[in-house]
Amino acid sequence: MAGQGASEPALFTELEVEFMAEDESINIVPNVRMDTLNMICGDYGPFRPQIPVTVPLWLGIAMKKRSKCRIQPPDWMSVERLSEVLEMEREAPREFQPLPFHYVEIAKLLLDNAREDFENNYMVQSLLEDIKDVRWDKVEKGLKNLSGRTHAVKLKNISAMEVNRMRTFTVRALQSFFKHDNDDMMKQTPTDSDSQSTPSSSDRLPRRTLRPR
Amino acid sequence: MANYYDIHDILMQDENVSTVFLHKANGAGFLDPSSEDNNVARGSVVDLPLWLAQDLVQRQIVHVKLPSCFNARVRKEVQADPACIDLRSKCPFYYEMGCKLVELNVDPTLGPYLLDTLRGRYKDLLCKALTATLTGNPKFVPLLTEEETRLFEAGRDSMKAFKKWRLQGPRLERAAILGRKRTRDPTPIWS
Repeated sequence: MAGQGASEPALFTELEVEFMAEDESINIVPNVRMDTLNMICGDYGPFRPQIPVTVPLWLGIAMKKRSKCRIQPPDWMSVERLSEVLEMEREAPREFQPLPFHYVEIAKLLLDNAREDFENNYMVQSLLEDIKDVRWDKVEKGLKNLSGRTHAVKLKNISAMEVNRMRTFTVRALQSFFKHDNDDMMKQTPTDSDSQSTPSSSDRLPRRTLRPR
Repeated sequence: MANYYDIHDILMQDENVSTVFLHKANGAGFLDPSSEDNNVARGSVVDLPLWLAQDLVQRQIVHVKLPSCFNARVRKEVQADPACIDLRSKCPFYYEMGCKLVELNVDPTLGPYLLDTLRGRYKDLLCKALTATLTGNPKFVPLLTEEETRLFEAGRDSMKAFKKWRLQGPRLERAAILGRKRTRDPTPIWS
């Protein structure tokens, strides 16, 4: 816990994670004619009406806001794929299903800015909500099992936003547990009997859990 | 673990513990309000701040007694239901102080006891931190020690930030300076 103020922020804010997500690519269908855009990060285009082209998400959304294109929803954002993922998330209580690393942010950006490009956007949104809740429930269950002997936590396929959400709490909790659950704190149990103030023998027994938690 | 500049560590070391002098200490009467001359008699019980007691224990001048917040009665209470004990009123730096006392070999059962306490309280804390509402301080916060409060706040703040991000409106806001009435260029920057 050393050297950390009470109001220490997370490593990234949600807006920063969203910013990083905007580098993912997406297919758009332009409705304007435009030459190739030469950016530092690469060349995009040329844009011809009705010819799909792959661009970064930020560019796609910027064009969408000016009504210069239509966004093609990514494959994983179809109702069938999402229902499948939700089904599998519910069936496997310990694993996360593979989804794009930035799926929370991409979904939010697309549904905020290009809602009309999805066929049944209500369905997509509610499926995404459900997936998010199921996955977060797994994260919470995992957090309950932390202890000082935890060396590593395996979280395959977890997404950026989920990591970011649990980061500070997890780190703090692991630090606290480590502080109390290391050998320095434990080694004195059997040996040092020379100190005074001997507590009653019942206190020396390992704790029993009275009811299952 | 402890950092020299950690303010919580410094504050924690200011807590008093009661100690027994193993030797007579000449000229140290200011430590013991009940002494009549300027000396502390052998075997007298004096309350010292932890930072001083720590050094004196290393020199084998005093012996630290187990503070009352770790005695058998408190342990029984904590064992019964760890989550609803008001540890802050017993000692705001309960765990940190416990760790220091373990280092001083005050009581061999203290280390495992602290871990059990933390474990028992952690699960409850986890649920509460992750389901905390956006506004207001829930009523169990005053029961938490400093360390637990920091843990709780870490969890609650990231949940809060996430909810705020989900519910937010457009990301680009007009700077206040752009909202000023202009005489020449009435077209907005973001169209």
